[in-house]
Amino acid sequence: MDTLTAERNADACVLKAHDLALGFGGQRVLEHVDLRLAPREFIAIVGASGVGKSTLLRALCGLLPAVAGERWLDESPRDGARPWSMVFQAPRLFPWRRIRANVALGLEGLGLSREERQRRALAPLELVGLGDMPERFPSTLSGGQQQRVGIARALAVKPRVLFMDEPFSALDAITRRRLQNELIDLRQRTEAAIVFVTHDIEEAVLLADRVMVLGGHQGGAPARVIDTLEITLPTDNRREHADFGAQVHHLETLIGAVPEAS
Amino acid sequence: MKSVSRSRRTGLGALGLVAFVALWEISLRLGLLPGNLVPLPSAIPTVFWGEVVDGIWWEVVSSSLSHYSVGVAIGSLAGIAMGVAAALLPVFDALHAWLARLLRPIPPLAWIPFAIIWFGITPSAAAFIISIGVFWINYFASYSAVRAVDPGYDEVARAFGQGSLLARLTKVSLPAAAPGILGGLRAGLGQGWMTVVAAELFGIPGIGQRMMEASGLLATDIVVVYMLTIAALYALFDLGFLHLQKRLLIWTP
Ligand SMILES: Nc1ncnc2c1ncn2[C@@H]1O[C@H](COP(=O)(O)OP(=O)(O)OP(=O)(O)O)[C@@H](O)[C@H]1O
Ligand SMILES: [Mg+2]
Repeated sequence: MDTLTAERNADACVLKAHDLALGFGGQRVLEHVDLRLAPREFIAIVGASGVGKSTLLRALCGLLPAVAGERWLDESPRDGARPWSMVFQAPRLFPWRRIRANVALGLEGLGLSREERQRRALAPLELVGLGDMPERFPSTLSGGQQQRVGIARALAVKPRVLFMDEPFSALDAITRRRLQNELIDLRQRTEAAIVFVTHDIEEAVLLADRVMVLGGHQGGAPARVIDTLEITLPTDNRREHADFGAQVHHLETLIGAVPEAS
Repeated sequence: MKSVSRSRRTGLGALGLVAFVALWEISLRLGLLPGNLVPLPSAIPTVFWGEVVDGIWWEVVSSSLSHYSVGVAIGSLAGIAMGVAAALLPVFDALHAWLARLLRPIPPLAWIPFAIIWFGITPSAAAFIISIGVFWINYFASYSAVRAVDPGYDEVARAFGQGSLLARLTKVSLPAAAPGILGGLRAGLGQGWMTVVAAELFGIPGIGQRMMEASGLLATDIVVVYMLTIAALYALFDLGFLHLQKRLLIWTP
């Protein structure tokens, strides 16, 4: 935790957004988004359905051009890796590729040999618990298994910034718990900074260093950042921590999910 | 309606065919049908064997096959290339949209005068006429197949560094549209046989020309031999293609 804070203060930065505004066809969805993400930092974005979480994620990675404002992502090249990757809200696997080839998609064009790509595709598949079915086609997998392949595909390219759009929401409670723990674990082992969208406030408090709350879009007005909250719990065993419930509750009141505490 | 089992369907199909041929044969033998207008079914195998022994059958079939394969290959390749390009490049699409709408309704056989002027009475003329019908089928099939590809796949490609036009073509558009493109190819294989006979009627050696000769001599049995030949060749090509299609699309559920 201390090292993360130090890094952020030292102005190391992998992703920046300044006064970002997003929309479709003249209609603004989201306005005034400011963001700085330090290496290895984990930020969660929460908000009600339709507030613009997926839209913000697509703009931050560069898939969607912004209506106004600036966005910068550290794209300096590294061997055998990509600057960023994304776990989409729907898995969106290529049905014509086998699982292993789906995971290897981002490894193509990085100058890796065929064997190297095959090998590097297998490791993240094992991580998400699907190491035993690399030769199957996506249509033969359950929805949750497909979502896990989507996670493996994003991890395979060793991104500097990993965008995750509600990656666990389609999973059963047991698998979700396991992958949440894997993700906490993974953070010790990767350099990736993570931008994690979720509508599950507990999940945000469990995983993130910071939580950005989007809202204020009632009545057709563009949404904005209502608040950004530092999570001050230790990374290990947060669920068991005495303040866990309090932080969750505080966030819930911010979003308006529960009435202001009396 | 009660559904019929697979083996029962096969049995009933064979029964219907045999009954039809038997009825035809009996009607002729009883004098219910004029023998100079329709041949006796039982005479067909002998006539077929005669054509084979004379070497005529193989000669006309092989030359028709060469018109057919060249025409289908050119028509399919050009149709798929143009259809895919139109679906991926909006400016190209808009540029030739009116032209395509203008040329599309012209039947392949209406091109015969130009085929003769441009190529003479040559195999190339026949191949050209065959290629036209095949072209349009493949053009529209691949155009709509590529247009129907989920744009979400393109976004995935861009997210994983495969955003160049070439990468999206080979890694998204073509594989995703493959079922539709292959469907067009198969329809084109059938359409090719529809035009092959007509394309040979004006003097280019092949099945069509042989049938015209036979009809001039009122040799209806020879005409039927080649009608059945075309049906058999079509079935053979279609079966082969279905096999290939199944192998290429093993990923479809
Ligand atoms: N391609 C698009 N064209 C027009 N409007 C869009 C488009 N994509 C999203 N929107 C609109 O932008 C708003 C935000 O959508 P977005 O998908 O970002 O919401 P979200 O916060 O991710 O919701 P959820 O939690 O349900 O996934 C919605 O009102 C949606 O209708
Ligand atoms: Mg969303």
